[in-house]
Amino acid sequence: MIAAIDIRGVTKVYNPTSNQPVKALDNVSLTINDNEFFTLLGPSGCGKTTLLRLIAGFEQVSGGAIMLFDEEIVNLEPNQRPINTVFQHYALFPHMTVADNVAFGLERLRKPRSEIDATVERVLNLVKMKELGDRRPNQLSGGQQQRVALARALAPSPKVLLLDEPLSALDLKLRQAMREELKQLQKETGITFVFVTHDQEEALAMSDRIAVMSNGEVQQIGGPTDIYEHPVNRFVADFIGDTNFLDGEIVSFNDDLVTCRIGAQSMFEAENSGGHSIGDKVTLFLRPEKITLSAPDQASNVKTRPGKVANIVYLGNQTAYTLDMGDGIELTAQARPREDGKLPFAMGDSLAVGFSARALRVLAQ
Amino acid sequence: MNLWLPKSAAGKRWLGLAPSYFIIGIFMLVPMVIMGVFSFLEPNPYGGVKPVGSLAAYVKLFFEYDLEDNLVFNPGYINIIFRSFQLSFGATLLCLVFGFPVAYYITLQPENRRNFYIYLITIPFWTNLLIRTFAWIIILGRGGVIETPLLAAGIIEDSLRMMYTDGAIAIGLTYSYLPLMVLPIYASLEKLDFRLLEAASDLYASRLEVMTKVVIPLCKPGIIAGCILVFIPCLGAFIAPNLLGGGKNLMLGSLVQFQFASARNWPFGAALSMLLLSAVVIMLIFYARAASKRASMEGSD
Repeated sequence: MIAAIDIRGVTKVYNPTSNQPVKALDNVSLTINDNEFFTLLGPSGCGKTTLLRLIAGFEQVSGGAIMLFDEEIVNLEPNQRPINTVFQHYALFPHMTVADNVAFGLERLRKPRSEIDATVERVLNLVKMKELGDRRPNQLSGGQQQRVALARALAPSPKVLLLDEPLSALDLKLRQAMREELKQLQKETGITFVFVTHDQEEALAMSDRIAVMSNGEVQQIGGPTDIYEHPVNRFVADFIGDTNFLDGEIVSFNDDLVTCRIGAQSMFEAENSGGHSIGDKVTLFLRPEKITLSAPDQASNVKTRPGKVANIVYLGNQTAYTLDMGDGIELTAQARPREDGKLPFAMGDSLAVGFSARALRVLAQ
Repeated sequence: MNLWLPKSAAGKRWLGLAPSYFIIGIFMLVPMVIMGVFSFLEPNPYGGVKPVGSLAAYVKLFFEYDLEDNLVFNPGYINIIFRSFQLSFGATLLCLVFGFPVAYYITLQPENRRNFYIYLITIPFWTNLLIRTFAWIIILGRGGVIETPLLAAGIIEDSLRMMYTDGAIAIGLTYSYLPLMVLPIYASLEKLDFRLLEAASDLYASRLEVMTKVVIPLCKPGIIAGCILVFIPCLGAFIAPNLLGGGKNLMLGSLVQFQFASARNWPFGAALSMLLLSAVVIMLIFYARAASKRASMEGSD
């Protein structure tokens, strides 16, 4: 299968001739499949927007190649690339109506008027903005402008649609609704979406595959569960979701499990991901939702450790407990509220803290 | 306390605006009324006016007396007015053609350098316009900066006769008022969201289409303001027409100046000014109407 976009060893350096060159991307290679919802995820300054701008053609690569369906595109102007962008701040033309905005790309492509009119209507329908075609952008709400920006980028039927943090300016409810819609839209149109975001929840909810980026490099590429459950390094584990990190040293291992000493003498068992030897400094990670909390007398048959509630953060649908495990070790765990709405545990309570060795994983340092 | 201060909001507002009303009244309205009144009086041959009512000045705009004292149509002054509009229009167009790229270039510079370029644009204002216009005589004139090397190189054999032509006037006017075109266009370009240019090129617009479909429509207010600021003073200009046009190709401004300074026909000069004023006011009204119509069409910003 031909890749929709193939990034081959792309490097981007800003101000290369000045005395302070900034390396935004360092030898990045990744492949985006056709008809895929692909997300570039990372903190601000990680190079994800730069990569998007290189694909769109707003910036020139300093090295490497970008292939669009097996065709080299780095030397093409943005208007010569069959790629459209949904901009972070929408960038709608303020002097045109919604319909004229949507028609803009089709007009530049010299499509016949009848086809333009039909496409504009169809695309506005698709984003549920049919009635507002005569409005000006400044007469629309943020969510409506977002839909127009989407319609405008979809109208010319691009081979790839780039989305630069398009939901970041919307409020939470709208953002969640738009996630669903975007995913739906991608399925309906069959266009490859490349989505840039710093919001890990957004990335997990929508993407077929995610590339986690940091410091101008791709850290990990994989499906949402891969990334969440099997992060390849501490950065990825830390950036996606909440995580407990335990720094320690391997004292023994067998085929299934490694045993690590954390703190002075606490022993933790974790899944053996292979390639470890005794004495290795490692980091174990443990997701808070994999920890079960119970009162000491109600502890089930799962192996538990004693812990004391050191801090409570109420989050509504759940509560985050910071547990003092002794030996200088702290763990964060989550518990649902009781049916009567009261918190299950109080500050200072002694609890039985349970987690299986399979929930603990070893990260490369 | 302060019993003499107005209490109502409207009264306070009036008090705050009073100094501006006073300035505008003394320096604009009163002189204009004086001009209007003078245009309906008889000239005093030694300068000034005689307090005798007369429409002679306005009649003189269109008619003259022939040898037998019959009133006959005289297109001379109408022609001068027509030529003035033509030359001003040409100069405005030239200012736009040269001014827009300059303003655009400045907008593209890093922010700290833009102010420096704007400062450079204003430098010519520091020297007297008369002197700067004389400089153009040296540039354009017979044996001037342009002709001499061309003659020496044998590219031309005779003088180009650039001086004392309409072209010379247009060049002089363009030079004089170019900054007035650059500044308002720069002001509107500076507010332009340059991400819109990226959006346009992303949507398959060529460089030219980015200009014609996005940049120019969005900075139209600046372009129009620049055109008004150049066109109106061009109509009334007299330094460039006098020095570069040689006085034989009169423009409205030099005609007015001539009536007051040399011909001692103040009422006629005043009538010409009134004609110029009404032409400008009518044009501005048309522009304001079109602008408000467009604003209501585009919705409230």
